[in-house]
Amino acid sequence: MNAYTPKTIAQYLDMLKDALKGADSSMIRDALYDAEEYLRSELAANPGVSEAELLARVANSYGAPEEVADIYRDTEITVQKALTPPKKPAQASAFKRFFAVAVDPHTYGAMFYMLLSLATGIFYFTWVTTGLSMSAGLMILIIGIPFFILFMASVYAISLVEGRLVETLLGVRMPRRPLYQAKHSGWLDRIKALFSDSRTWLSLMYMVLMLPLGIVYFTLAVALLSLSVGLIAAPVLWWMAQLGWVSFHGHFHMGTGSLDPALAAPFLFAGGILLLFTSLHVMRAIGQWHGRFAKHVLVESGAD
Amino acid sequence: MNEVDPLVRKFQKELSAGTVSFLLLAQLAKAEAPLYGYQIAKQLEQDGDGVLSGKQSALYPVLRNLDAAGLLQSEVEPSVAGPPRRYYRITEFGREVFSAWRNTWQQTQTLVNTVLEGAPQ
Repeated sequence: MNAYTPKTIAQYLDMLKDALKGADSSMIRDALYDAEEYLRSELAANPGVSEAELLARVANSYGAPEEVADIYRDTEITVQKALTPPKKPAQASAFKRFFAVAVDPHTYGAMFYMLLSLATGIFYFTWVTTGLSMSAGLMILIIGIPFFILFMASVYAISLVEGRLVETLLGVRMPRRPLYQAKHSGWLDRIKALFSDSRTWLSLMYMVLMLPLGIVYFTLAVALLSLSVGLIAAPVLWWMAQLGWVSFHGHFHMGTGSLDPALAAPFLFAGGILLLFTSLHVMRAIGQWHGRFAKHVLVESGAD
Repeated sequence: MNEVDPLVRKFQKELSAGTVSFLLLAQLAKAEAPLYGYQIAKQLEQDGDGVLSGKQSALYPVLRNLDAAGLLQSEVEPSVAGPPRRYYRITEFGREVFSAWRNTWQQTQTLVNTVLEGAPQ
């Protein structure tokens, strides 16, 4: 730090400028201005002290150039943050917001969740019906009760896994750890807690419900996507065929019988784009709704 | 000692980050005439070492930011000694904010003192 002590105010300012290299240029100007004001005032306040001696002293009051540079960088950031009220998010136009859905990761998470929900729905439903009916069937034997308990524990575990899925894809914060249980409680207490927690039963219901929901979600996602992609692709292919870039074997039909394809094509294309983005909105909304639903059923309902 | 030193400095830094604006506002609320940076720095230096020692340069950016936030107002006047000086005075809004900050400070002070009471040296 003291490898090189400035001898004149001009040298000090040069060193400060060097130390601030790369910083915001108006901040550099402010820093130099402040330093000069301070140093010149100090000089005026101490007549008879040489400039070099004064600058050596200044390192302890005002700070050496490097220190001053650091302070300016830090203070600028901290104070700026503390004193400026948080900015209101820029209000995007309705047009922008409509199309911005395509760059929102939640949209694709929701889309993927809807496509996946058929598979998970079938699995959950099968698991629950099999587990319940086997438990009922085995109830007359001694292993019926432990089997039922194990099955209910598995329902609880699956609800945690589903929570992970919902959080990753739908962006709703879900628990990452099992419910807290007193460390030294016996296994009987734990079983009692499992069965007296309404969330366990609601998870069971959720898993059954996931089959119809999954069917609806999957169908909706596939239908909306394929319809809009089809609407967009048809005129494009038609135009390409007109240009002779592609040729179709067989019959290529577009539009209603009375409508001229050349006239219908732009409308179909625009309609397809509109439908695609509307579908993205619908899927994102469904994702949000399902996220809230899952959180309510799996987490919040029995919260004590 | 070597292990404690950096932690002391860190503590000082955090404290000063929290109090510099408040101190400057207090200084200017007391002042009868507008003050410029150097004067404010020297007055604070006289009042004691504490958290601001060795970093009077830290005051200037804070003054500027208080000015920008409307707590202070400033004007530039030429000086014989060097570059023109920027004189700061507190605004009505600044006084309002100051008294609110003062309440917060007093509450904090009471809390800290209460907690410190009876703690071994």
